[in-house]
Amino acid sequence: MGLSILVLLFLGIAQDGFQSSVQGFIRIQSHPGRLINDFTLVGGTGGAFFNAAVMTILSLFLVRSSGIRISGPTLAATFTIMGFALFGKTPTNALPIVFGVVLAAKLAGKPFKNYILFALFGTALGPVVSFFIAEIGLGGFSGFVAGYGVGTVVGFFLPAVGIVMLRMHEGYNLYNIGLTAGFLGLFVAGVFRASNMNVDIEVLWNREPTLAHQLLVPLFSVLFLLGGIIRSPNKILINQKKILKSSGRLPSDFVDSATVAGALVNMGLLGLVASGYMALVGADFNGPTLGGLLTLFGFGAFGKHLRNTLPIFAGVVVATLLFGKSLVAPGPILAFLFATTLAPLAGEFGPLIGFAAGFVHLVMVEQSAAWHGGVDLYNNGFAGGLTATLFVAVIQWVKANKS
Amino acid sequence: MKQKEYIMHLLAEVSNYVLEAMPSRMVISLHQESDGLHLAVIDNNERPEDELESMRTALNSASRPEMAEYYGSMGGTDLVGHARLSLIGWQIKHADVTRRDKGTKIDLWLGSDRFDSRQFNIPSEEKL
Repeated sequence: MGLSILVLLFLGIAQDGFQSSVQGFIRIQSHPGRLINDFTLVGGTGGAFFNAAVMTILSLFLVRSSGIRISGPTLAATFTIMGFALFGKTPTNALPIVFGVVLAAKLAGKPFKNYILFALFGTALGPVVSFFIAEIGLGGFSGFVAGYGVGTVVGFFLPAVGIVMLRMHEGYNLYNIGLTAGFLGLFVAGVFRASNMNVDIEVLWNREPTLAHQLLVPLFSVLFLLGGIIRSPNKILINQKKILKSSGRLPSDFVDSATVAGALVNMGLLGLVASGYMALVGADFNGPTLGGLLTLFGFGAFGKHLRNTLPIFAGVVVATLLFGKSLVAPGPILAFLFATTLAPLAGEFGPLIGFAAGFVHLVMVEQSAAWHGGVDLYNNGFAGGLTATLFVAVIQWVKANKS
Repeated sequence: MKQKEYIMHLLAEVSNYVLEAMPSRMVISLHQESDGLHLAVIDNNERPEDELESMRTALNSASRPEMAEYYGSMGGTDLVGHARLSLIGWQIKHADVTRRDKGTKIDLWLGSDRFDSRQFNIPSEEKL
């Protein structure tokens, strides 16, 4: 992880210089975070990468100080945070969400470490905080007070709602907090709309990515792949076999089931395959797509592998082409990367179900961001949760009534 | 989680696991003390040694508070997919899985650090 942060900082500073990176980072803190705001345009590559590095360091600090070991879920959460810090998350908007989860833990009489995953993934609701700070014209201190107040309240509800959402799809949607945040976001956006506030979706998308953008994930992938191979050269195939055998359903911690080395190799493979696809179709390596790649990469330690992701990829690609959309347009390319939240469906019920889930996901995800006004950064987790719930309900009904 | 809900949640996941093998007999025994409890689930399904070993591993997994509180909540609620003993393994103090004459006995021990399973009046394997 330390090496990843260094690579991130090095690439960002090499691109824009130190001073410009810091200035870009500061600019990002007071910028709207709702979908889709590409921070590589707001703060430059250096500013966005600096923001991602700071968010990753803060996440690791939270994990370490809670006494939780780095494992599949914490790796997934940390890389997800790193990715989303390129298009929506900032230390400024994440803090109150975490604080809300801390309060929930206190009220439940439990140590914070029990709820740490809610806090880490829950920063998906950061744009709610930024909305008050940067979008509705409250300005200055009032904006901060309002944003931090509302952010703390939504953070407080995350554990309670998250557990119920998890039971709904039974662990077949890997981004469960995406569904949770989307559900809470419906209420938040409802209040915003009732108050005549504008929560329309606007897309800020970098169409001229730099070399640093293109190199980031392939570099991470090669580093992790080599790290895994060097760590355990004789067990690469055995570990990969163990991982491929898993359905990937929550919680599938590959660090536990197939060792750290196995998880690193799996992460590297996924990162290379997805980056390769993006290069092949000519997609933009910018803030949002790097966010998708890094999330996919992180979940290579926690549920995703080539057997359960390829059918989902295929479903999204076929749906994109069938509906006459461009493979490199923001919606389809993000759906391609993030639809792998449904990988456990393919892992447990086979490639056909996985393909169908990927297909349905594309249709859903293009609508769902507007419902919550883009305040849930894990919009694909929201749409994926709804898709997974539909599939689980039908599969359960068929299973229960099959003679 | 309240004690009653907690027990139901553990029982549901273990029962889900046991019933997947369609036993013709399943017995559930509960014994509660002030600072601990013992749950035993006995069936008449003979399992191979490697399955017993994987059950022991799943039920005696290392403490994972971040997993137990979040993903552990799925225990006993699944309608689709296979039962997963690891979901409850993170939440209990200790488990024993032993072969009976013609079946399997799963003992789950829960409680505080003061809890001493020897004070329980569950008959030992020899006396049964």
